[in-house]
Amino acid sequence: MSFIDILLTLLQGAGYTLLITFSCAATALLVGLGIAMARELGGAWVSAMLSALVYVLRGVPMLVLLFVVFFGLPGIGIDVPPLLAMMLSLGLISGAYLSEVFRGALAAVNPGEVLAARAMGFTRFETLRLIKIPQMLRFSVPGMVNELTTVLKYSPFAYTVGLPEITKQAMALVATTMRGIEIYAAIGLIYFAIYRLLLSAVRLIEKRYRIAGFAEE
Amino acid sequence: MALLEVKELVKTYGGRAVLDGVSFDLEEGEAKVVMGPSGCGKSTLLRCLNLLIEPTSGAILLDGKDITRPGADVRAVRSRIGFVFQNFALYRHMSVLDNVTLALRRLKKMSKREAEERALHELDRMEMAEKRDAYPAALSGGQSQRVAIARALAMDPKVLFFDEPTSALDPIMVREVVTLINRLYLDNVTILCVTHDLGLAKLISDRVVFLDRGKVYAEDRIENLLQRDDPVIDEFFGGEG
Repeated sequence: MSFIDILLTLLQGAGYTLLITFSCAATALLVGLGIAMARELGGAWVSAMLSALVYVLRGVPMLVLLFVVFFGLPGIGIDVPPLLAMMLSLGLISGAYLSEVFRGALAAVNPGEVLAARAMGFTRFETLRLIKIPQMLRFSVPGMVNELTTVLKYSPFAYTVGLPEITKQAMALVATTMRGIEIYAAIGLIYFAIYRLLLSAVRLIEKRYRIAGFAEE
Repeated sequence: MALLEVKELVKTYGGRAVLDGVSFDLEEGEAKVVMGPSGCGKSTLLRCLNLLIEPTSGAILLDGKDITRPGADVRAVRSRIGFVFQNFALYRHMSVLDNVTLALRRLKKMSKREAEERALHELDRMEMAEKRDAYPAALSGGQSQRVAIARALAMDPKVLFFDEPTSALDPIMVREVVTLINRLYLDNVTILCVTHDLGLAKLISDRVVFLDRGKVYAEDRIENLLQRDDPVIDEFFGGEG
């Protein structure tokens, strides 16, 4: 097997890793935002139920939830494709963590601004959408970067449900070439490159929406 | 008929009456100051009057209509009452201009151009038009308060509420903001102002409503109040005047 073949196989795996990371990160953002908004707008009962859900999701090992979704659900007649199974496990768990990041960021919004918006006649939903969420997202950047990095680092679990992501490809290559050190070092570098790519994208968005004197360390 | 009539307003928290049967009127074009010791219910009163806090009992008539009745249009009530807060409460993620146009566009459904014209008119009145693109973090306390006043005025309210408008400012900025509020007073803007600032009260109040322990203790012109030989009022003013 030539160097080019090895490289092509690893890059194909990297493509899957990116697909899994972005699908799960998007799920996590949607779930995190959904939970944070429902907690804000729903009553005490909704909030208590969501707190319990977040508590459970944060305590369940990701691999266990993945196996429940992928291997368990077919037992009751629900077949879940591998990528969707990753989104429903890694995406959901990360969403639970993100909802906590968002909760902290919402608490950092000045209550005076919320009161001013309500006093002008904005509804609770409008106040959330126009005043609280835009500020919350800016306050959440460090926590979001952490969580998205975690999603990337948990993506190798996808090989257990048959997705040929980069770690799975590397394992197969090592089995045939016996060049473990070079191949695993190479995928380490590729993971790092993906991490830098993610970070640069977040920094770009952060810079685009930066406001002088707002949420600066 | 008074613009705002407050009748026997009561607000209780856990059995404790913060407002205990407050009644007074505010005529159109009148400026009234609400004063009283800390914890007398001043801020609660303002928040009840625009329904940020639901009163326990009593009636509030705005233009003769009871706004506390079930089914009253809360949004319509609030859009007719401008509210300026102690700590300015500008939206930190928005420019000065966006702070003023937000409610015009979203609540009054004005076009972008229309809203900006209206906002710039009010910002100009408050001498803040040149800061239209600045963000609140770059403004001084006095400048922030002027933007907050422009934001409230832009909605063309029937009455303007001020909740301790000068207490978060240093003496120089107090003078600056007091001058502007005085200008509004001279322009016949209807004002209800909660303040501890005797200077501001002397300048802008036709009458003072003096609250003590949730009740209207006295209502009179400020100079008459200062001349009263009354221990509660004396203690509050600390022999000033």
